[in-house]
Amino acid sequence: MEDELVRLKSVALKALDSIEEPDALEPFRVRYLGRKGEFTLLMRKLGQAAPDDRPRLGKLANDTRKEVEGAFDAKKSELSGADNGKRSGAAPQTDLTLPGRAVPFGKLHPVTQIMEQVCGIFEGLGFAVAEGPDVETDFYNFEALNIPKHHPARDMHDTFYISGSVLLRTHTSPMQIRAMKEKPPPLRMIAPGKVYRCDSDITHTPMFHQVEGFLVDRKVSFSDLKGVLTVFIAKMFDKDTPIRFRPSFFPFTEPSAEVDIGCVICKGKGCRVCKQTGWLEILGAGMIDPEVFKMVGYDPEEYTGFAFGLGVERIAMLKYGINDIRLFYENDLRFLSQF
Amino acid sequence: MKFTIDWLKQYVDLDITPVELTTRLTMLGLEVEEVRELHTSLDKVKVAKVLDVRPHFNADRLTVCEVMVGNETFKVVCGAPNAKTGMYTAIALPGAVLPGGMKVRKAKIRGEASYGMLCSEKDLGISEDHSGIMELSDSFESGMDLADGLSLKDTAIEIDLTPNRPDCASVIGIARETAGFTGKKLIHPILNDIPELTGENVPFSIEVESFEDCPRYAARLLTDVKIGPSPWWLQKRLLAVGQRPVNNVVDITNFVMLEYGQPLHAFDFKKLAKSKIVVRRAHSDEKIVTLDGVKRDLDSKMLLICDSEKPVAVAGVMGGDNSEVSDETTEILLESACFNPINIRRTARRLNMGTDASYRFERGVDPEGTVRALERAVRLMIDIIDANVVENGVDLCEGVKPRGEITLRVQCVNDLLGMEFTADQITDFLSGIEIDVKALDQKILSVTPPSFRVDLEREVDLIEELARLKGFNEFPATLPTVHMSFPETDLDRDLRKRLSSVMISLGFYEAVNYSFVSNQHFDMLGLAPDDSARSVVRLKNPLAEDQNIMRTTLLPGLLENLRRNINHQNLEVRLFEIGKVFYPRQGEELPDEPLRLTALLSGRRQPGSPILHYGSEVTDILDVKGVAELILDELSLPGISLKRSADALSFVAPDSFAVIKSNDTKIGEFGQCASNMLKRFGVKQDVFYLNLNIDDICRLCPAETAFEALPRFPSVKWDIAVLVPEHVGGGEMVQAIMDSGEKLVEKAEIFDIYRGKTIKKGLKSAAISVTYRSQEKTLDDETVGVAHKKIIELILSGFAGQLREV
Repeated sequence: MEDELVRLKSVALKALDSIEEPDALEPFRVRYLGRKGEFTLLMRKLGQAAPDDRPRLGKLANDTRKEVEGAFDAKKSELSGADNGKRSGAAPQTDLTLPGRAVPFGKLHPVTQIMEQVCGIFEGLGFAVAEGPDVETDFYNFEALNIPKHHPARDMHDTFYISGSVLLRTHTSPMQIRAMKEKPPPLRMIAPGKVYRCDSDITHTPMFHQVEGFLVDRKVSFSDLKGVLTVFIAKMFDKDTPIRFRPSFFPFTEPSAEVDIGCVICKGKGCRVCKQTGWLEILGAGMIDPEVFKMVGYDPEEYTGFAFGLGVERIAMLKYGINDIRLFYENDLRFLSQF
Repeated sequence: MKFTIDWLKQYVDLDITPVELTTRLTMLGLEVEEVRELHTSLDKVKVAKVLDVRPHFNADRLTVCEVMVGNETFKVVCGAPNAKTGMYTAIALPGAVLPGGMKVRKAKIRGEASYGMLCSEKDLGISEDHSGIMELSDSFESGMDLADGLSLKDTAIEIDLTPNRPDCASVIGIARETAGFTGKKLIHPILNDIPELTGENVPFSIEVESFEDCPRYAARLLTDVKIGPSPWWLQKRLLAVGQRPVNNVVDITNFVMLEYGQPLHAFDFKKLAKSKIVVRRAHSDEKIVTLDGVKRDLDSKMLLICDSEKPVAVAGVMGGDNSEVSDETTEILLESACFNPINIRRTARRLNMGTDASYRFERGVDPEGTVRALERAVRLMIDIIDANVVENGVDLCEGVKPRGEITLRVQCVNDLLGMEFTADQITDFLSGIEIDVKALDQKILSVTPPSFRVDLEREVDLIEELARLKGFNEFPATLPTVHMSFPETDLDRDLRKRLSSVMISLGFYEAVNYSFVSNQHFDMLGLAPDDSARSVVRLKNPLAEDQNIMRTTLLPGLLENLRRNINHQNLEVRLFEIGKVFYPRQGEELPDEPLRLTALLSGRRQPGSPILHYGSEVTDILDVKGVAELILDELSLPGISLKRSADALSFVAPDSFAVIKSNDTKIGEFGQCASNMLKRFGVKQDVFYLNLNIDDICRLCPAETAFEALPRFPSVKWDIAVLVPEHVGGGEMVQAIMDSGEKLVEKAEIFDIYRGKTIKKGLKSAAISVTYRSQEKTLDDETVGVAHKKIIELILSGFAGQLREV
């Protein structure tokens, strides 16, 4: 059998060598390398060999066959090159200027992208994420947050009502109440979601998105609030983004602060977007008011905490330089495909 | 709240720049909204003396005035009726650009040369008066800058006041804060020499029905009042903050309101029946015509100021026109009061009339400031109008409650703020803004909140003051020390994130639509009148009629997005939205808010892909089925079936609709949108949609993943080509093969469906490739042949098929 292999190899290589036309390749392949070709036929005889010899012969047969296959492939590419050369005089170039062959992905809405980015940062700090209902009661949206009926702070919220006591939440802060009523401290949570206010112009849409965050524990201080928000802004924007806290008013926090960052458009020099101040208001925050703790049955002498809320569209508008908030809700692919 | 720097300087010695001032105010929580230089465009406007006025030879209404400006004389054509020889007026010289944008130049007007323009107050942006050119007193010198002459140069500042700081709805309030951070003393226009008003021997009477509604009511009578214009300095103050001067009495009350934050009202005393004032709630059908000429329907909770017969003012909101000060008025009763903030706010809201007065009352005015502001107004009336004040007056102050002291613990301050303050430092900060502090020891302070700070009630309010005065940016930024815990994950949210990434990888863009939609959508979808989707949560006060209900389906919003994109020539659309829909729940206050995923496919099959490679084929029903299958594969739910449903929805094409189930739970559907429905949404091309109920999916447990050993032996593929009737489903044949019980069958796949000339009508040719494999050995032709023959027979008999000659 060994001899037969050697003979077959030399016959095959000789035959291959004499081939000059590509048309002759296929008959060669069928004759020698095909399913019913000479090598296959020869290998069927392997069964007749002595069992001890079989592994060695098997390997030899395989190697020989591979050698011939290699020679065949080399001949094939040699002939195909010669073939092209003959017809056009030069090898054609691959046209790499043509578009690649792929079906493009879609994209997440910019609001979702920013919201996920915000949530991701706080999740990294160990905050849980939870979402509350969009349709809320007056109690959770206002009363429990220390905004009684006829409080002037209600002017800050143009509210859509479903009934006298049911409304569309005007902020994500009701989630503070829901979470605290459900669980004892310590708590660390963020609540992203849709909020609603009856207001519509180039900077207001009747629906927009907020992310609320809060942390309650023993001995949580205003400095801690500053620290957490400083980390957030460094991650969300540039790590060198200037940041300032200034006093403000929210009925459910005391002290209350607005947080500004150095204008991302003009880098603090003063421009139209920052109204020449060099600063952009980015979020509201504060230490949770003791009245709120009383509403949920936490002891304000024992626990303190902070809360903050930010507008997602506003951040997206600042980050991308979007000048009309209404674009977010037209779902025009020319808009959505940019982010 | 608006004021000017010049005005502020009346009460505090200011030696910082406007920029420093505004920055400090902002950082104290008094956010400066706008800073505006006043009258910056008046540098070429001078005082002129009119030497001669003669008619224009070529125009009846015009005159030619010869005017002297300094030591030069010019001729100016003028159209004003009040130009007269000897008057002093304002001239804009050539080159001046007036506030309205008008450029003044040398011109010939109807043949007469005119060097500049004589101006009205309106021309110069000083007031709205356009009745004639300005008439200045002869104390002005011709040639001087008008802005200097009228001391117009000033900087107006507007503060966006938070609701907790009514004390700063006054220039004195702002001055107090300014004095605090500049270390200067506040200069009060009225010191403590305020006469006591006992109510004895006054020619009028005051009656307050409820001190709950009106904690304090003070009034004084002034006689010999001559109504006329106020002096320029007073008008200038009002004009600078956007208020229109009316007459001397009204202007003084407005000025004092802006100065002290205490609204005042002047009644024409002769119009008050029986010289009596009664403060009471309205009767249920009572009406009043307010100063703005509008007839107001009152309700029984609204507080009124009445005389012995009728209402003369809506308390704290607006006066009535029946007692208004007019040119004939000679005696006024001046009111300074303190009303219940909640009551005033309710009334102002109900009557839909927010006024400068109601703004202040509803936030809370200083109850001690009532008589001080009254005294200030009285003195101004004496000084300016030369009025006579009747001795004594009334001051009913039973409703003013004494405020207790607040205990402030140093430890609490430092714990909450994360910074170390000493008792002395705390005292210094608070007393800087006129808050009275007594240190009981180094740990505890006793604080008496001043009457003007109605917002300071609790210890934490004082801690906030301290933080504010110290400056928020002075505090360190630290990270809290917390116990480690693993945050619980929100299943809905996780699922949403997974599904979003599948959708995006399939070329879909995410849309976000408003949660409120038009109730028209249901008709556009063609829903039956009793369709459950029509039971909605309705808004009481929608912004627009097309946003009046909460959505019960995401489809209409996406269809509107589709139309918009098609209108903008984007015909290849794959959009999806993951959002809540809202269903009222019987017996529950809040609706159910299940989460849905809805996707739309329309136009080219592979949007955005190179046409060269992918061609221009358009989407069909199997594309949306493919999307559904991929998502379901990602979810790996048990017992999934996608079945054509007999009870198709009204808005889908009846033969292209399938329901998705996991075992017996319906979790979604997909199909082709009916063309008549699409027409109502203005869409002409084919649209396919998929809907999944994420909440339902969340409740299902995913199938367990268990490893299956990799096959050790090779498989073989044998093909079948059969002719079957058109109605036979390709998937049915594949399913039949899989369910045949033939152990060697591993997989069956249709690889061609053919209908053509060579095939008889009513039949189709299906080519199926069957993969066979054994777990025990390499298959030989004979073994496969036996199995394959059984499969062929199964197809032929089960589906009325015949073998196709290949």
